[in-house]
Amino acid sequence: MELFDTATVLTRVLTSGVVMSIEKSDRELPGLERLLTKKTRRSKAVLLNSRTGAIHAALAGQGIGHGDSVALAEPDAETAAFLAWLGVRVTSYDEPAAYDYLALDPANADRLGELAAGATAPALVVDLTGLGFGPAAAVLTDDPKLWARAERLKIFGAYDLRTMWTQEEADADLVPGVQFNYRLSPLVAACVRMALTQAAQPQTAQPQTAQPRLAATSGANQS
Amino acid sequence: MITDFPNSPLPLPNPADLDDELAALGGAEIIPKALRRTLFPVITKEDVFNLMLAQRQAPEKVVADFAEAYRAYVGAGFALPTASGTSSLHMALVGAGVRPGDEVIVPAFTFIATAQAVVAAHAVPVFVDIDPVTYCMDPAAAAAAITERTRALMPVHVHGLPADVPALRALADRHGIALVEDASHAHSAKIGDRVAGSLGDAAGQSLMADKNFPLGGEGGIAFFAEEESYRRAVSYLARHGIDYGMSWVAAAFGSSQLKRLPYYDEIRARNAALLGDALRETGLFTPPHVPDGHVHAYNMYRLTLHPGAVGLDDLPVHAVKEAVHELLVAEGVPAREWQNTPIPCHLPFRHRDGFGNGYPFSLNPGAVRDHRPEDFPVTLGMLDSTLVLCRELRSPVEYERILRYADAFRKVARRPDAIRKLVQERDYVRPYEKAARLG
Repeated sequence: MELFDTATVLTRVLTSGVVMSIEKSDRELPGLERLLTKKTRRSKAVLLNSRTGAIHAALAGQGIGHGDSVALAEPDAETAAFLAWLGVRVTSYDEPAAYDYLALDPANADRLGELAAGATAPALVVDLTGLGFGPAAAVLTDDPKLWARAERLKIFGAYDLRTMWTQEEADADLVPGVQFNYRLSPLVAACVRMALTQAAQPQTAQPQTAQPRLAATSGANQS
Repeated sequence: MITDFPNSPLPLPNPADLDDELAALGGAEIIPKALRRTLFPVITKEDVFNLMLAQRQAPEKVVADFAEAYRAYVGAGFALPTASGTSSLHMALVGAGVRPGDEVIVPAFTFIATAQAVVAAHAVPVFVDIDPVTYCMDPAAAAAAITERTRALMPVHVHGLPADVPALRALADRHGIALVEDASHAHSAKIGDRVAGSLGDAAGQSLMADKNFPLGGEGGIAFFAEEESYRRAVSYLARHGIDYGMSWVAAAFGSSQLKRLPYYDEIRARNAALLGDALRETGLFTPPHVPDGHVHAYNMYRLTLHPGAVGLDDLPVHAVKEAVHELLVAEGVPAREWQNTPIPCHLPFRHRDGFGNGYPFSLNPGAVRDHRPEDFPVTLGMLDSTLVLCRELRSPVEYERILRYADAFRKVARRPDAIRKLVQERDYVRPYEKAARLG
């Protein structure tokens, strides 16, 4: 993204005065969620502040936790270390994966829809860090329960502003165990949204010399 | 910038307003609805300009420059910027030497992140009651909870008042365990000349945009007294492949805001003093207690009710509080409970699923308790008898607004008859009998 465009987006959000992720009037996070669900043709999005937060949410969203085993394509060393920290063992590299993974950068951001179309796992982890605004990621899914669990993991059990901070939970399956603050900042979300929007518009995109280098993988090659 | 000032100025208070009927009973509100919005954080054209400049720098340098500037301000030995307050607390615990299965003593009254950060470190939180005056961790309760597996005390500088660090430091030293501060409410808070974050072996602090010192969204920072602790935290992240990195966007905003933090601290202190004087006059309310030598940062302002002072001592204090809460909100004062249940009684610590299948609680079953609210009587008493103001003391809360808040408290305190009538009409339950809330 051009510096001028980033400057415009940052100025627009700062002028709105809303830079906090739990602000009722924030429009940037829902805006990025809408863009990602539209492009990936998934019904739900969870925005997170890092690649590892998204992996955690993709697994916890399926009720996969410490002591459990999953199928994944062979993870890279960093991801393997993170899975070990979560206490999740990878026991199969052949079966359908627990999540699919793709990392976006300026060279392949225009292909998000195409890359997502090849993913088949219940959760699609999209690493947005390569777009250049800091650690950022998303989990896309069609499973409302996976989405609900992932939302609760990232924000202390709260999942919307109506019930925010209420720890009472009607559905015992959704009660979170460990909780993190994996929330994404609206300013980062706004920049990511602009980068993705521009990547999908050939007339404003960067020169098309870079070759797309990533396809959707199953939990592998995540550096 | 539209964010520099509110849309409409508040008029100065009129002393005659205090004689009006209460707003809840049909009178005029002290602060009309159209004038109630509190903007936060303050965003200036300099903030925008500094974010523009940051675009042209390497992201790593923007984050490192921010961390170094704030470390120097706090006076801590080493700093590790992170993505959130929770992750900063996790790193502070790891840096202080907390290992899987260890026990970490935390107060029962705090934000849930304090205890969840202990779980994130694969350790077990052990909850203790608070001091009845400061509402921070009670050193005697902490002393009683220490076992052979205790690795750290983690007091919270609740609402911005530093905990009793000298007593807790002595306790930690006596047992050879670490002192880890949760300084998430306590930006610029001090004991003597030392700033919160530099008082313990390590500290974690939230910098999310609703804190006194806001970043551009979410963020946190861990502080360490010794280089060894800092290196332990950094190597932990690398060893476990965890990305807790701070965005340069958030950091650039923080660097810009840091320059104005002392100015905003002064405004909050002025507002707190002004409101405190007004509350003391009412008899019904007292402001937060600040021990000698402590500087309160007033991220929140928890005031205590004394029903006996206005002839209401025959009523349950929690019912008086609920009635006063209703009357204040009707006048335009956004008073809140901010927590209604001890943290160990929230669902995640009743279920104790942790990372799944009970880990890490399963590492140390002897440290695990099934708590009832009554196990923390001081916390319950505090929840029964206090109300909280959150953003209401901060800049850009203007002088006129603080004067009007003070008038609203005066107006309500003058009407014990209305308070009594509400208590008789309503069926108020104790705070913890409602669904547990964090904010």
